[in-house]
Amino acid sequence: MTELAGGCLLAAMRNEEPLLSWPKEGPTRAPYRVMHDPDIYRQEMDNIFRGPTWHYLCLEAELPNPGDYRTSFIGEVPVIVCRDENGDINAMVNRCAHKGALLCIEPHGNRKQFACVYHAWTYDLKGDLTSIAFQRGLAGKGGMPKDFDVSKHHLVRIRVENFCGMAFGTFSDKVENVETYLGPEMAAHVRRIFNRPVEVLGYYHQVLPNNWKLYMENSRDPYHATILHAFYATFKLNRLSMLGGVALGKDGWHNLLYSAAERDIQKENYEGGHLRSVIRDVGLEDSTFLDRIQEFDDGITVAIQSIFPTCNTQQIYNTLAIRQTVPLGLNKAELHWTCFGYKDDTPELRRMRQAQANLIGPAGYVSMEDGSVGGYVQRGTAGAEDEASAVMEMGGRTIEPQPGVRATEVALRGFWRAYRELMGY
Amino acid sequence: MAEVSDSVRRQIEALNTRYIRAIDDDAVEEWPKLFTEDCLYRITTRENFSQNLPMPLMECTSRGMLVDRVFGYRRVNVYEPQRYTHLLSGLVIEPIDATHVRCRQNYAVIRTMVTGEMMIFSAGVYHDRIVLGAEAMFEERIVVQESRRVDTLLVIPI
Repeated sequence: MTELAGGCLLAAMRNEEPLLSWPKEGPTRAPYRVMHDPDIYRQEMDNIFRGPTWHYLCLEAELPNPGDYRTSFIGEVPVIVCRDENGDINAMVNRCAHKGALLCIEPHGNRKQFACVYHAWTYDLKGDLTSIAFQRGLAGKGGMPKDFDVSKHHLVRIRVENFCGMAFGTFSDKVENVETYLGPEMAAHVRRIFNRPVEVLGYYHQVLPNNWKLYMENSRDPYHATILHAFYATFKLNRLSMLGGVALGKDGWHNLLYSAAERDIQKENYEGGHLRSVIRDVGLEDSTFLDRIQEFDDGITVAIQSIFPTCNTQQIYNTLAIRQTVPLGLNKAELHWTCFGYKDDTPELRRMRQAQANLIGPAGYVSMEDGSVGGYVQRGTAGAEDEASAVMEMGGRTIEPQPGVRATEVALRGFWRAYRELMGY
Repeated sequence: MAEVSDSVRRQIEALNTRYIRAIDDDAVEEWPKLFTEDCLYRITTRENFSQNLPMPLMECTSRGMLVDRVFGYRRVNVYEPQRYTHLLSGLVIEPIDATHVRCRQNYAVIRTMVTGEMMIFSAGVYHDRIVLGAEAMFEERIVVQESRRVDTLLVIPI
């Protein structure tokens, strides 16, 4: 079955006309229209974000106590994630079942229950409606009908799974469990990062002037890294010729870009059981912020994982982070970074993570450009003719793991495969 | 709060004026000269600051790192041309000793792009430790941005 036939078949099964006919070249093309068409955007909210996909919500470590909650998103949908009295993590849509008002306004906190400020409809930590203000009216007048069944008016519940300390949510009751969804290689990488208890070290929130998919492409693209992020090449930190490659999960839905930078190290010694690397004389006045230790036995120094659709895990030297991309309409998205370390970090390692923060985030030497480049594509493709498409043939035209290959767009082709399967294009 | 002399206040205002002129006139090479050799310059957000979360948006722990940030801005990093307009208000000065003070001051930065788009890019509070003298200098400037959001990217110091 060809890529195109697969997409059409799915659309036919759903008994709907596809909004788009994909170029005949298949996953090496992505029509610019998918970044600009409001009907396609609306369909993404249904087919992708409410579809058979898992979405990162928060870290278990952010909810240590019963009643702790955080707000998050699945696509545009506002979500509450909380830990209940039994220690279970629950998630529900952050929307009162009465008039639809946001229940939790603050990004995090601790609550015994969730009460809506509008009319005081109140829910427990599982999302069940427990009380309605003036349910019996006042002085026997007004109130809800006698047959009004509060048990039928709970918050919209979200299926939750805690995988290695990452809380994932889905609207789908059909999608397989998270581990199966990830596949063995991607699950192994999540285990690698979350190999022991973590602690949040800070957050970044970055508004991207582009469609959400452009950031998802960017984070799957090792081809641009040493070109756009000139800091790498200027200071000889990362070359496309370094050891590295692309691993895929679920036929390309997910992927891992990895590289090992040991050739750039000028001085190494063992300190506290870790290989410590010092980089000097690269042209920086003060390069001490690049001091790092090799935390992982596999020698990988940079690993960016994409979990379809909008979650990334990040290891760049000793910076560890989850990135969650939230669509804010067709032309805007918000990138939420949660930076973390391990609970058993030595003070020295903590200082290194903090110093290396200069590399990442909205002001990061090797990441700031990702904030603007999506906007260049968004603006460059505005008003494009229907058949105009991005070309992604670097590294071939197939979607197969490419160990040892870094000049490749295979992981982007994987993204578009997943996208087309879900969208029916 | 102890009183500070007009002379001290003038030194601090002059330092802040030089700071704004260096950045807003795109003379950022002058910016590191306003800091001591082993200075601390950090940009963080209210969200992280109030929870004692250590990851900064930007952190320079020496004048050399400030010079590197200027080099990154001029020669390495890739971004769309943009300029800042700083607005300052509400200066509070607390003496530490005869030659050092702590200051707090509100700032706002309006960012203007070549397209003409203008926005309040950042607003918040400067927390400073300043060494006084004919040419007063920052030993510390911690920028606490009120919003947790950064629009697009942050390349020019705030």
